[in-house]
Amino acid sequence: MSNEKTTKQETQVSKDGIDANVLFSEFKEHSVADFFKKNRQMLGLYGKQRTLTTIIHELVTNSLDACEEAGILPEIEVKISEIGEEYYEISVMDNGPGIPENKIGSALGKLLAGTKFHRLVQTRGQQGIGVSGIILFSQITTGKPTKVISGTSKERAVSLEITIDSKTNSPKMTNKVYLEKKFRGTGIKAKFKEIQYKKGQGSVDEYLRRTAIANPHATIVFQDPFQEVTKYERIVKTLPKIPKQVKPHPRGVTVDELLSLARYTSARKISSYLMLTFDRFGQTAVDSIAKMIHFDINKDPRKITWEEAEEIVSAIKKTKFIAPNTNNLVPIGENFIEKSLQTIVEPEFCFVYTRKPSVYKGGYAFQVEVAVAFGGNAGRLVSVSSPKAKNRKDSLDDQEDTKEVRVSEIIRYANKSPLLFDAGGCAITKTVQSIDWKRYGIHNFESAPVTVFVNLISVHIPYTSAGKSAIADEEEILVETKLALMDVSRRLGRYIIDKKKEAEKLEKRKVFAKYAPEIVQALSRITGADATKLQKNLDKMVLEKLKMEDLEDQKQKAKDDKIEEEIEEEEEIEE
Amino acid sequence: MANQKPKKQELEKHEVEGAKEIGKRVYEIAENIVHQIEHEHTPTFSTKVRGLSNVYFDQDKGFIQLGDKTVTRPFLNLGAARKFMQTVLVTEKCNEYLKHSKTASIREIYYELKHTVAKTNENTFDGQEESNDVIVDIEHSVSTIREKLGLQADPKGSLYGDITLIDRKHNNDEFSCKNLGRGGWSIMSRIEPDEIEIKEVNADFVLVVETSAMYGRLIEENYPKKHNAILIGTSGQAARGARRLVHRLRYEFNLPIVVFTDGDPYGWYIYSVIKSGSMALAAHSKFLAVPDAKYVGMTLTDVEEYGLQAVTEKMKDGDVKRAKELMSYDWFKSPAWQKELKLAIDKKIRIEQQALANKSLDFVAKKYLPEKIDNEIFL
Repeated sequence: MSNEKTTKQETQVSKDGIDANVLFSEFKEHSVADFFKKNRQMLGLYGKQRTLTTIIHELVTNSLDACEEAGILPEIEVKISEIGEEYYEISVMDNGPGIPENKIGSALGKLLAGTKFHRLVQTRGQQGIGVSGIILFSQITTGKPTKVISGTSKERAVSLEITIDSKTNSPKMTNKVYLEKKFRGTGIKAKFKEIQYKKGQGSVDEYLRRTAIANPHATIVFQDPFQEVTKYERIVKTLPKIPKQVKPHPRGVTVDELLSLARYTSARKISSYLMLTFDRFGQTAVDSIAKMIHFDINKDPRKITWEEAEEIVSAIKKTKFIAPNTNNLVPIGENFIEKSLQTIVEPEFCFVYTRKPSVYKGGYAFQVEVAVAFGGNAGRLVSVSSPKAKNRKDSLDDQEDTKEVRVSEIIRYANKSPLLFDAGGCAITKTVQSIDWKRYGIHNFESAPVTVFVNLISVHIPYTSAGKSAIADEEEILVETKLALMDVSRRLGRYIIDKKKEAEKLEKRKVFAKYAPEIVQALSRITGADATKLQKNLDKMVLEKLKMEDLEDQKQKAKDDKIEEEIEEEEEIEE
Repeated sequence: MANQKPKKQELEKHEVEGAKEIGKRVYEIAENIVHQIEHEHTPTFSTKVRGLSNVYFDQDKGFIQLGDKTVTRPFLNLGAARKFMQTVLVTEKCNEYLKHSKTASIREIYYELKHTVAKTNENTFDGQEESNDVIVDIEHSVSTIREKLGLQADPKGSLYGDITLIDRKHNNDEFSCKNLGRGGWSIMSRIEPDEIEIKEVNADFVLVVETSAMYGRLIEENYPKKHNAILIGTSGQAARGARRLVHRLRYEFNLPIVVFTDGDPYGWYIYSVIKSGSMALAAHSKFLAVPDAKYVGMTLTDVEEYGLQAVTEKMKDGDVKRAKELMSYDWFKSPAWQKELKLAIDKKIRIEQQALANKSLDFVAKKYLPEKIDNEIFL
């Protein structure tokens, strides 16, 4: 579980001579639980269905991260059982590295234990309320402790119950039992109220389906409250690379961050602090900054005042830096996305495109992956009443006939983690909707059987709000997403048009073949002409006509392709 | 009305063309297609364009005419293939009828040709509209009327009065329509002189009546005899046969034509078709339209004149729309008609012929018609 990286961070900090407890003393002294209660909205724990999905998200994300960091192909089992009205028990079990017995408390029972806040790394979570937040939520709504079982490859597996003392933000563990059988992994089982299990959009089912699509290396099993089991089998056996933490690029730095980061540094001078802490910060930049500020650049960084920090930030804004390193982004990859979509969405065909990494706001590396899956089982299944059946005179009962149709769906991800809510306010949704789908053979996007996949990868995802379910309108991200979508749409359009042409050709051949004998027989009866000869000539003419049309199509296609390319070039240039 | 001496109109070439000439042109349709196929040219069929784009009102002649636009339908076109097949089938049948001097109703030809296309579950024709359509195509392609293709529409309309006819296709029967009983003679679809000869007419004018009920009423009141009139009942919109008969009586016997319909857009349109022809048969207006046909009623002025306010009916939205269309027709541009139509649109009322019975059953025969026709109170 996330425990390991947390400890690493803490140790590193301690070595530098700073006690993490000092850093977080402010948090501790305030009642964390109160803070938590007041900020449920911010943590995504509002709305009965949304809260449930957020809980599953936190637990599953933790499991995936833990497995990947330990180099284990994840196997995750999610189970929801209904205890009473709006009262459920949730358990999530993984085959990850487990948590060493003596770290369980600090890993799971301390709110905001991690220092993810200043970490610039491509992570699923970024929320950081983590499993501890979930444990606390269970406790607040039911008063019950959370059951944990954990087994590592070295230690005996242990089962215990954990509660969080929200006044002191410290874990309390009870009922510790060592397990007889061998077990490696982490299991968490907790009860919750004020949540509700529902199917459909925003459901746990949908969350896990999308998680499975973005994580083809994981096996995910889900048992819903009706004991129905859905299993997403592992599709690929390759673990994704672990994204490296990167130094922040100076372009994106804020006054507050500059001050906070200064507290960690081992540097004695501002100049060395800047060069050590930030990416692409060299002597030239330091010299240029030194000229712009009104105090000594060799000052102790821990003694920078807010006003001085403001001066530095505004000086940084006026200084040129090389664009940030973009090597640390780990996309899912075109092949894997395609395999995933083929297996889980089961479309007739799909097109995938992973753009090259780019930078937004001058300081944050990001990368966009998109896919369109069309036909087959692509899209979202909805029931609609069929008005035809309703108006039919011979239907004696008043019951409306309903039929299931597939309509378009947009599946959004931030660092491979599904974004299920606030679709309307999300830059991804807006970009998808801004595409002129008609141009690509989809006449009504809303009602087309299409799944549009967009995964935004970044060391720092620009969310619109603390709810973290919608991406903000960052110009560079919008452009990259649009270009990527246009690329796949273009390929999709070509496919659809080719398919239509093919069907038309077949239809033509069928139609002409069907009527020709009738015509030939009648003509022969009127004029006495040889029916066999007429038929032969007519067949020949049909074939020739189709062949000619084929040639024309190819010519037209070559022309279209050229125009498309030109348009694309223009667009790239404009960009 | 003043009795004018009957004077026969010269028959046009088109009218005297016999089965032989028409048959040749029908055969040529097939021959042409065979020729195209043998030379590996796309088989095509050409006919005149109907509909608004090729129809115009001829001010001089006073009726609707068809323009010269033609359309060519190739077989090797996804949208046209089926119709092409149907055209060839109907052509074959027409060729056969003409060769053997047979006639069939348009419903019969539909059933004769309807079958499943080999190796499919598709019918050659789905509904009579499809074969009717193709018949019109062929009519226009060989510039004739369906009756000359050996086809006939269902007979519709009745004739009553002192008029003697000879049925040349049926034992040369000779009969006068004044003594066939109250129903009169049932007007055939084909009224051409080589089939129905008009031997003698003793009348001052022809009264064309929309409803069968009014036709019956006027006979019961002995109106035709008392007023020296030939009575034609159209039972709604006038069929080709009735129109052709009206045309012949006007031009072969120089009889004035007076039209009597319900006072509503539907009735007025019946008058419009008799007077100026219809879009569908624009090509044949010359043999069907009677531009100087007079309209006696019903009118909304009648409502005031005869105090019929209590027996008017409300016009529906569709009626109002139709009235507005009529207002835009060139042959309804006279101030009297414009005034009448505007009145109808404003008041949104209509009046039926039978509403005259509100006064008394014989009111129409004894007062309304004599008064209006003698004083030539026409619209």
